[in-house]
Amino acid sequence: MELFLNRISDGLSNGATYALIAMALVMIFKATTLINFAQGEFAMFGGFIALVLATEQGIPMWGAVFGSMVITAVCAAGIERTLIRPFDPSDHLPLVIITLGLFLGINALAGIIWRFDPRAFPELFPSGNALTYGTATLSWYTVGTLVTIAVVSGGLTLLLNKTKIGLAFRAVSSNLESSELVGIKVGPTLQFGWAIAAAVGTLGVCVFVASPFRQLEPNVMVTGLIFAVSAAALGGLDSLGGAIVGGLAIGLVQSIAVPYLGVPSELSLLAAVAVLMLVLLFKPSGLFGTPQVERV
Amino acid sequence: MATSSPKFVFIQGTGGYRAYKFLGFAVLALLILIVAFAYNDTGSITLFDNDYKLSVTRVTKSISFMVAILGLQVVAGFTGQLSLGQGFFFGTGAYISAWLVADQNWAWFTSLLVVVPVCFLFGLLFGIPALRIKGLYLALVTLGLAAIFPSLIKLDVLLPYTGGAAGKQVDSDFIPPSWLPLDAIVDALHKIPLVGQYFGEGEGLSSKEEQRVWTFFLMTILAIICFKMVSNLIKSRPGRAIRAVRDNETSAAVNGMSLAFNKVMSFGVASALGGVGGMIYVAELGIASEGDFTQLISILFVVGMVVGGVGTLSGAVVGGLVIAFIPDWASSTQNLPLVPERWLQGPTGGLILGLGLIVVTFVLPGGVISGVRKIRDRIIQVIPQTPELGIPAGGVALQAGSTEGIEASTDGDAMSASTTADDG
Amino acid sequence: MSDTSTTTDLVLDVKGLEGGYGQIQVLHGLDFHVADGEIVVILGANGAGKTTTLRAVSGMIPRTGSVKLRGEDISNAKAPDLVRKGVAHVPQGRGTLPELSVEDNLRVGAYIRDDNEVDADIDKWFGVYPVLGERKNQRAGSLSGGEQQMLAVSRALMSRPSLLLLDEPSLGLAPIIVAELFERFAEINKETGTTMLVVEQNAQLALGIGDRGYVLESGEIFTEGPADDLINDDAIRKAYLGV
Repeated sequence: MELFLNRISDGLSNGATYALIAMALVMIFKATTLINFAQGEFAMFGGFIALVLATEQGIPMWGAVFGSMVITAVCAAGIERTLIRPFDPSDHLPLVIITLGLFLGINALAGIIWRFDPRAFPELFPSGNALTYGTATLSWYTVGTLVTIAVVSGGLTLLLNKTKIGLAFRAVSSNLESSELVGIKVGPTLQFGWAIAAAVGTLGVCVFVASPFRQLEPNVMVTGLIFAVSAAALGGLDSLGGAIVGGLAIGLVQSIAVPYLGVPSELSLLAAVAVLMLVLLFKPSGLFGTPQVERV
Repeated sequence: MATSSPKFVFIQGTGGYRAYKFLGFAVLALLILIVAFAYNDTGSITLFDNDYKLSVTRVTKSISFMVAILGLQVVAGFTGQLSLGQGFFFGTGAYISAWLVADQNWAWFTSLLVVVPVCFLFGLLFGIPALRIKGLYLALVTLGLAAIFPSLIKLDVLLPYTGGAAGKQVDSDFIPPSWLPLDAIVDALHKIPLVGQYFGEGEGLSSKEEQRVWTFFLMTILAIICFKMVSNLIKSRPGRAIRAVRDNETSAAVNGMSLAFNKVMSFGVASALGGVGGMIYVAELGIASEGDFTQLISILFVVGMVVGGVGTLSGAVVGGLVIAFIPDWASSTQNLPLVPERWLQGPTGGLILGLGLIVVTFVLPGGVISGVRKIRDRIIQVIPQTPELGIPAGGVALQAGSTEGIEASTDGDAMSASTTADDG
Repeated sequence: MSDTSTTTDLVLDVKGLEGGYGQIQVLHGLDFHVADGEIVVILGANGAGKTTTLRAVSGMIPRTGSVKLRGEDISNAKAPDLVRKGVAHVPQGRGTLPELSVEDNLRVGAYIRDDNEVDADIDKWFGVYPVLGERKNQRAGSLSGGEQQMLAVSRALMSRPSLLLLDEPSLGLAPIIVAELFERFAEINKETGTTMLVVEQNAQLALGIGDRGYVLESGEIFTEGPADDLINDDAIRKAYLGV
C-alpha cells in the first residue's frame, strides 16, 4: 500500500513536468496548429541558462529560474519573428522542417557549450517529506511540482482571460481572419504565444531536474518531448487544462504500469507512444480538445 | 526561369541526346572508380591543421543512408506523407540482417529476401492506420515510432535476437572473388601521372582494403538497383498516379484513383528501402546497436532529404552524403583560424546540420539539387519528345521548377518537376 | 479625375478596383462610392464578385486600383489597419469566434479602442439585441445563425466605425430573422449615422433599406442607381427578384 502511494507520488511529480512541457506545446498549437518539435530543446536550454545564472552569477535559485524564463521567452519571440513568421501559417511542412532544424541545432549547441556530463541542479523545493505514512512519503518535491502546476495554470488562465493580449491570443486561436478584421496584429500575438510557451517549458525542465534523483544534461528532453507530446495529445492538443490532465496521467501510467503490470522500464516510453497512437487514431481531439475542424 | 540561350540543346531520342546521357553515365562510373580506389582508408586531406579522413568505408555508410533517404523520398516527397520514423525501418532491416548473418549464417544479400518483405509488410501495416492521420499528426506518430525503436530492441523477449543494449556483432566480411584484379587496377591507377599518388602506395591492396573496396562496389550496385527501381516506379502508371495524389489530392480523388492503395503501398516501399539501407549499414559497420537507431537518425534522414531536395532521386544521394560526412568532418575540425578551440568540440556536426536545414528552407527550399538544376538549365536544355508523333515538341522546353508535373521527366531522376514551396 | 471637391465627403471612393484569388481575376475594374451616412447596396447573382469586392476593399485579398477612405488612399492597407481607420467588416458567414463567449466576442470587437466606455457599449448592444445579453457567457459557437449574425454586427460596431461593411448578412438565415435584422440595420444607420456598404443576394430586403445600389455581374458593374429606381426597374426585377 505504501509503495503504491510512493509510486503515485512519483508519478505525479513526473507528470507535472510532462504537463508543463505539454502546456507549452498546447500554447503554440492552439494559435497556429503547429507542433514545435524543438519545444523540449528550448526548455532544456532554459534549464542550462538557469543553472548558469545560479552557479556563475550567484543568483538565488528561483531568481535564476525566473531570469531564465524571461531570457528564453525573449529568444523564442525572436525565433518566431525571424524563422517562423516569414512562412505561410497554413503550410505546415516548411515550419515542421524549421522546428526540426532547431531541435538538432539547439541540442548540439547545448552539447557544445555545456558538454554532455550530467550536472546536478540546485533544489527548488525544500528537501525532505511533507507527509509520512508508514513507509509512504510525500516529498516536498512532489508537493512543490503540483503547486507549480497550479500556479502556472492559474497564471495562464488570468493572462488569457483577463488581459488584452490574452484576449487577442484566444481570438487568433479561434478565428484568424476575424481577428485581423477587428484589428489584432497576428504576428505579435503569435510571438507572445511562443514566448509564454518557452517560459513555461523552461520552468518545466527546471522543476524536472530540481529533483534529487535527476540531473541536467543536453539530452534530457529528447525522450521527454515524446512523453509531453503524448500528454498533450491525450488531453487535447488545444486544451491547456487537458495538457495538465494528460501530463499527470502519463506520469502515473509510467510509475504504475512499470512496476505493477510487470512491464520493464523500457516500456514506459512504449506505453506513452501507444497512448499517442491510439489517441491520434481514434480520438484526435483527445479528452478535452475541440473536435478538429481542418484549420484552413 | 527563362533559359537565356542555353549552350547545349539536346533533343530526346536523337543521337546527340544519347551521347549526352552516355557521358553522364561515364562520369558517374568514373566517380565510383575514383572513390573506390582513391585514398583507400589510408589517406586524408589536411586543411588548416585539420585531418579530414577520406575513406571508402564512410562512403559505403553514406550509401546506406542514401537508400534510406530514397525510401523517405517515396513516402514524403512522393505522396506527401511526412514520416519522422524512417529510422525505425532502417533499424529493423539492420537487426534482421544482423541476426540472419550472425546467427543463421546467411549471406548478407540473401538476408534481403527476408528484410525486404518484412519491412514492406511493416510499412503496409503502418500505412493503413496512417491513412487516418494527416500531416502534423502523422509526423508526431512517426516520431513516436522512431523513439521507441531502441526500447523495443532492448525488450527481454527479443534479447537473444538483438543482443540488447550491447548490440549484435556480426563478423562477416565481403571477400572479393579472386578473379577480380583489384591489385592490378590499383597499381595501374597509381601509375597515372600527377594523380596516381592518391591511389594507394603502388603495392597493391591489403586484404582488408580489398574487402572494403569490394563491399563498396557491391553496395553501390545494390543502391543503383534500388534507385533504378524507384525511378521506374515513378514513371509507371501507378507512379504518375501517386504524383497526382501529391500534387492535388482532391482532384486525384475525383479522378477515381485509388488514393488509399497508393498511399499505403508507398509506405510499404519506403519501409522496404529503409530496411535495405539498414542492411547496408550494418554490413559495413559490423555491429547493430540500438543507440544508432534513435529518433536522431530519423530526423537526420529528413535533414538529408530536405537538404538534398525533396521529391528528387539525386537529392537522396546528396542527402546521404551530407548526413554521413558533415558530422564526421565537423568533428575532425579542431582548428579553425579565429575560432577558439573550445567551440569546435562537441557535436558541431549537429549544429551545422540543424542550421543548414533552416538555411536551406529559407534560401533553397528545393534543396541542393534544385540549385544544381538551375545552373544546369542555363547550360543544357533537353527537349522532350511527344510520344505519338515521334517528333520533338519543338520549342517546348522542360524547365526546372515548372509545374507541369505529370510528364515523365527527361533525366529520370526527378519525381516531379515541381517540389515544395517555391518562395520560402 | 472628375470633381475632386466632393470626394472628401465620400466615405468610400473606389476606382478601377481589380482583384482576385491567385490566378483567377474576379473583379475587372469597379468604380463605386459611398457617401456619408448612406446605405449602399451591392447586388448580384452568385459568383458575380460581391463578396470579393468587400474583401478587396478590406485588404483581405491582393488588389489593384484606387481605394480612398475619406480622401485617404488606403489602396495598400492591410486588414488590421483598416479597422483603426474606422472600417469594420462583418465577413460572410458571420466570422464569430466560436470558442469565445458572447461577451468576449464583443470585447474583442473593441480591441483597437483604449477608452473606458467599452463596457458601456457592450451593455448597449445587449440592450439592442437582448438575446445576446441572455447568452453573454455562452460559447458563441453555440448560438443560432441569426444570433451569431446579431453578434457579428454588434462586434463590428463595437469599434465605433464610420463605415460598416456587411457581407451577405441574410445568408443561411430564416426570412423572419432576416427581416428583423435588416430593420435593425436601418435603425442603426438612422440613429448613429454609420455609413454602410451591404453586399446582398436578397435584393428586395437590401434595396428596402438602401439609399443606392450597384448591380454586379461577372466582376463588372452592370447598373447602378437610387434604390427606388432599381426596385422598380423591370430588368432588375426579372433578373434578381424573380418577378
